[in-house]
Amino acid sequence: MTLDVPDFDPTRPYMELTGVSRVYGSGSAEVWALRQVDLRIMPGDFVSIVGPSGSGKSTMLGLLGCLDVPTEGTIEVDGEEVTRLADAARTRVRGRSIGFVFQQFHLIPHLDAVSNVETALLYRSMKPLERREKALASLDRVGLAHRHDHRPVQLSGGEQQRVALARALVTDPKILLADEPTGALDTKNAANVMEILSGLQSVERAVVIVTHDVGIANSAARKVSMLDGRIVSDEVLR
Amino acid sequence: MNSTFRDLLRVATTGLLARKVRTLLLLLGPMIGVAAIIAAVGLTDSAKGDLKAKVDKLGTNLIEASAASSFGGQDPTLPIDAADRALTVLAIEKVSTIRELQNIIVTPYEEARENFETVPIPVLAADSLLPEVLEVPLLSGRWINGFDEDGRTRAAVIGAGLADEFDYLPGELRTIELNGLRYAVVGVLDRVELEPGFDNAVFVPFTAAADDFLDLGLEDDIEPNKLYARSVEGSEEIAADALKVAVNLGGPQDVSTEIKSEALELAAQSDRQLQLIVVSMGLLAIIVGGLGIANVMSISVIQRSAEIGIRRALGHTRRIIALQFLLEAVFVGIVGGLLGVLLGMFAIFVGVSIAGWVFVMATWLAPGGIVLAIVISVLAGLYPAVRAARLEPLETLRLG
Repeated sequence: MTLDVPDFDPTRPYMELTGVSRVYGSGSAEVWALRQVDLRIMPGDFVSIVGPSGSGKSTMLGLLGCLDVPTEGTIEVDGEEVTRLADAARTRVRGRSIGFVFQQFHLIPHLDAVSNVETALLYRSMKPLERREKALASLDRVGLAHRHDHRPVQLSGGEQQRVALARALVTDPKILLADEPTGALDTKNAANVMEILSGLQSVERAVVIVTHDVGIANSAARKVSMLDGRIVSDEVLR
Repeated sequence: MNSTFRDLLRVATTGLLARKVRTLLLLLGPMIGVAAIIAAVGLTDSAKGDLKAKVDKLGTNLIEASAASSFGGQDPTLPIDAADRALTVLAIEKVSTIRELQNIIVTPYEEARENFETVPIPVLAADSLLPEVLEVPLLSGRWINGFDEDGRTRAAVIGAGLADEFDYLPGELRTIELNGLRYAVVGVLDRVELEPGFDNAVFVPFTAAADDFLDLGLEDDIEPNKLYARSVEGSEEIAADALKVAVNLGGPQDVSTEIKSEALELAAQSDRQLQLIVVSMGLLAIIVGGLGIANVMSISVIQRSAEIGIRRALGHTRRIIALQFLLEAVFVGIVGGLLGVLLGMFAIFVGVSIAGWVFVMATWLAPGGIVLAIVISVLAGLYPAVRAARLEPLETLRLG
């Protein structure tokens, strides 16, 4: 595969977890949410991480999203070891490399759609006009450019999740991390969001969906199954 | 402008504008506090300025010397030649003497006697120089003159307050009854700021007083019991001391003196204490306002925890989150302070208009008030800002 992107190495993982454990509490109240997990997210991956509640997938999501640090092991994001980074540096890695989509959308209620998308581009030395153009382009990509001036309450659940998708994509992240992205949606809207998500997969991006829904998990290209804080299977579906 | 700061400004202003009622509540604290302080300082300064102008206008050099009853005398008097003696003091420029008369019932006309028997209206025998020494004009008519004295006429001048009370119109030919004796009202004296008691008084010539009220013979002169003197400006203290000795010379009478403007200056002093009290109350108001800001913003941080979480997930650092909340507090301080200054100025304006003073507001008040509001608001915003920054996105986003 040849690409005109400098330094692009399709064999170098976007994210690599090595011997990662996460322990909550201490002493007798110690809970091992993750035990010695190894995982690689490669460029172009469309992975689902699936497991019942308590399987450790939420902990996994926090670690993949650089929102948390492991008790043991190392995490590399796009070649950078984040485990020992200070909070501010880790926050910058997160802002640069990871886009988030949440089950509850988590749009900022007092901002209209385009301002919500723009929030991801704040504090990046970007001119307001450029930021607005990028945000509108990103909204256009999820088919919502015409509703850019609507507040979250004026949008349906499906539309809100698409605005959240636009917000996650506007920074052009290497990894798109979706937490139960269809969990709060009806079947039709869920299918619509999944369709957009699968369309986002590209050689330069990895899409990771964390879900307990096996149906959703099976629509990904690769499925990582978790149980009791361990990865029990990692299979390529197509 | 730094682009980070510009972005922060935008987030802080949209955050405040999006929750107008909450923002208004936040504004109230610094606004009321600053307004109270500015109104207190401005109003007392205006009052003081007015008092100072008044004292300047009335002069600080009016001295009153009165016969003190230190020897237990019922009706102590000054020597008959007290005025001449006073004038021997070099610093004294002009002198007028009066005699306060006792037990005289004053009525506008005979038939009204019953209504006025219990109303004490002071009656004073005065010489022809009194208005000149007090530096107070007549509202109408004329003052007691040499003809009244020599002719022993029953002429009277009344104070402006009494003229109002008795419904005397300027220029109207009227009489007034003193112990049933009819006196012609020949003039009305303007208000005497330095001697408010004169407002309600009746002034008669010494000679007529001697004839009608003191039971003295024709050849006797009445001894005065009080004199008013104007000294050279600035030497009133020395003049007052010298006056005591000069008037006292050769007689047993004890004399006490008083510089009349000092009472007004004392009033200005008590205004200063009032100012201190109201400023303290303003400070208290602004501190309570600050606590209100801390409280409302802390609740707001809890309400906006999801927003804070998503911002953190999107790559906004803790520092940015803290600054965002602090900047909101700064805005509250600036706008609250500005509104407080305007409200305070309005309060001064209203107060000054009602009292008829001149608007006085120290130049440091407006910037000082705004700075105070900002400082209090930032101090109040510090705790919620730190709390907001410390929120863990993982906990606020309720993942999975």
